[in-house]
Amino acid sequence: MGFFHRLRQAGLPIAAGASGEMMRAVEVIGLAPPGDVFYALRALCCTSVEQYDRFAAVFVDYFRQRIPAGLVATQPRTREWTISGEEEGEGGGGESVRAARGASDTERLRQKDFATLTTAEAAAVRSLIEAMAWSLARARSRRHRSASRPGRPDLRRTLRGSVSPEADMVRLAYQERKERQRPLLFIADVSGSMERYSEMLLYFAHAARDRLGRMEAFVFATHLTRITRQLERRDPSQAIAQVSRAVTDWSSGTRIGEAIATFNRDWARRVGRGGPIAIIVSDGWDRGDPAVLADEMARLRRSVHRVIWLNPLSGREGYQPLTRGMQAALPYVDDFLPVGNVANLEKVVQMLDSIPLRARS
Amino acid sequence: MLSVDAVVSAFAQHGYVADRGLAVTTHLALQLGRPLFLEGEAGVGKTEVAKTLSAILDAELIRLQCYEGLDASQALYEWDYARQMLAIRMIEATGKGTEADVSDIMSREFLRPRPLLKAVEAAAAGERPVLLIDELDRADEEFEAYLLELLSDFQVTLPEIGTIRSDEPPVVVITSNRTREIHDALKRRCLYHWLDYPTVEREVEILRLRMPGVDGILARQLALAMADLRSLDLFKPPGVAETLDWAAALKLLNADQLEPIVIDETLGAILKYREDIDRVRDHGLESLIHS
Repeated sequence: MGFFHRLRQAGLPIAAGASGEMMRAVEVIGLAPPGDVFYALRALCCTSVEQYDRFAAVFVDYFRQRIPAGLVATQPRTREWTISGEEEGEGGGGESVRAARGASDTERLRQKDFATLTTAEAAAVRSLIEAMAWSLARARSRRHRSASRPGRPDLRRTLRGSVSPEADMVRLAYQERKERQRPLLFIADVSGSMERYSEMLLYFAHAARDRLGRMEAFVFATHLTRITRQLERRDPSQAIAQVSRAVTDWSSGTRIGEAIATFNRDWARRVGRGGPIAIIVSDGWDRGDPAVLADEMARLRRSVHRVIWLNPLSGREGYQPLTRGMQAALPYVDDFLPVGNVANLEKVVQMLDSIPLRARS
Repeated sequence: MLSVDAVVSAFAQHGYVADRGLAVTTHLALQLGRPLFLEGEAGVGKTEVAKTLSAILDAELIRLQCYEGLDASQALYEWDYARQMLAIRMIEATGKGTEADVSDIMSREFLRPRPLLKAVEAAAAGERPVLLIDELDRADEEFEAYLLELLSDFQVTLPEIGTIRSDEPPVVVITSNRTREIHDALKRRCLYHWLDYPTVEREVEILRLRMPGVDGILARQLALAMADLRSLDLFKPPGVAETLDWAAALKLLNADQLEPIVIDETLGAILKYREDIDRVRDHGLESLIHS
């Protein structure tokens, strides 16, 4: 049945053997009101509301049938973003790049500002970013594990211990709280002024997701786009190509306050559980209202464990955070770090590992 | 209930106004024996679906409220350690404990069933209870993996007692507020339905059904004001639960139509964030009133 193939092409999670289930569903529902078939198949095929529009589009197209009004998607305008140096990333060029790179060369690259990289250097820097070792701050989980130190008694183990023949007295066994990795939130500015840094920072984000397993990522210029799913692609350049297709406002003006507001309103509750560490990457050039930015930063700070602001310009000599946006945001930032080169990124990674277990005082 | 129409009318009889999509999905879930996965904003009536279903089917409602750190001993079963210890002491006191006594201590009698085991046991006994797994997004992934296993075959193995198996699965309703994404593997075992805010007409219907004291004109005013509020980009848009709260508040104040002063006094019933209240006041309370 071509219908499933079309649904899969549209990116819906159709399992093998779905067709049998759908036949049964149609049997149960009957064909009488055609709208019911639509709802029935939708309940089987979709696993989130975001897929509703895509499902409706395939359904309408395939069955050429009217469905309840207001369900067909309008396609968002997308813009292709060609990534500099993408062509030689995988191919034969890579080998010669690696061969030409000595130890001192690596050191020079680590210090070199992303904005001034040549194509070959960019490829080398990307592999440096991919090779970084990650480890993230931890938080206390609400789950428990066995412990040797006194704490919460573990009655199950206590009883098990006390039924053995040698046990003449009850010896209490204990539990303690497990530790877990804190979630990471990555929110990056991809507006015009960040253009020359965006690509490397996305590679950085991809490496973080790849190593840490779970991370939520967003980019913004005039509006916020979630790129978590796109970054899940294993291959970095493919993942970033996907991101570039998903984002519609590359290199336009910046509205940091509105972007953070969208995050707070639409996403914070969905992806902000478990005391996350929020990383915001931006140079602070903001065309929006600084008062909005300050309010939204205050709200963000209340809902996360720590706010880290990475600014590509702040590593430069004589940099002062004077832009209105940066001024408005700084009071709500726990760590303000430069992010202009690989050495800076390594500092950030080290810093993430050293964030204390408990909340800030 | 043999048809979608029957589901719609059964829901209505029990005070729940179900839209067509929800009715179709529910009908399908009952007929195919698959769990119903309801996602939607807080206060759109997800939990109410399970409660209504249990009333319609005249079945026991077994509820598991999820939270972070929820584990098998809270969700499935736990031994009653205190009673076990007492039993051991009693056997010791008589001085003639036997093998049989020891195995007694690990019998069903000393087991405290939690919601999941209760549901499987009830289903195994031939009843068909409604199992509500509420706010699954609050539990952590470890629990989700555990649930996935249970939902696939509805049997529970207790190492000390044996396997409890149910031929006909319980009616399972899972809800999520989407504070995080539930894994696709779990959702795929279920029938998914996104429960949206009701249309104005449906909300009027809900108010008429649930709040008989509210007359038609006020009900319509409330529904239109709610639709306005939900379009305002609020941090937490009010749900149906808030509409009902609001109607109850207005009834207590003997208000038979919306006025700026009355709205101002009762905003706390529908908006729970200071920023949202400020925003609505800035927007103008008069604009919420449709005559």
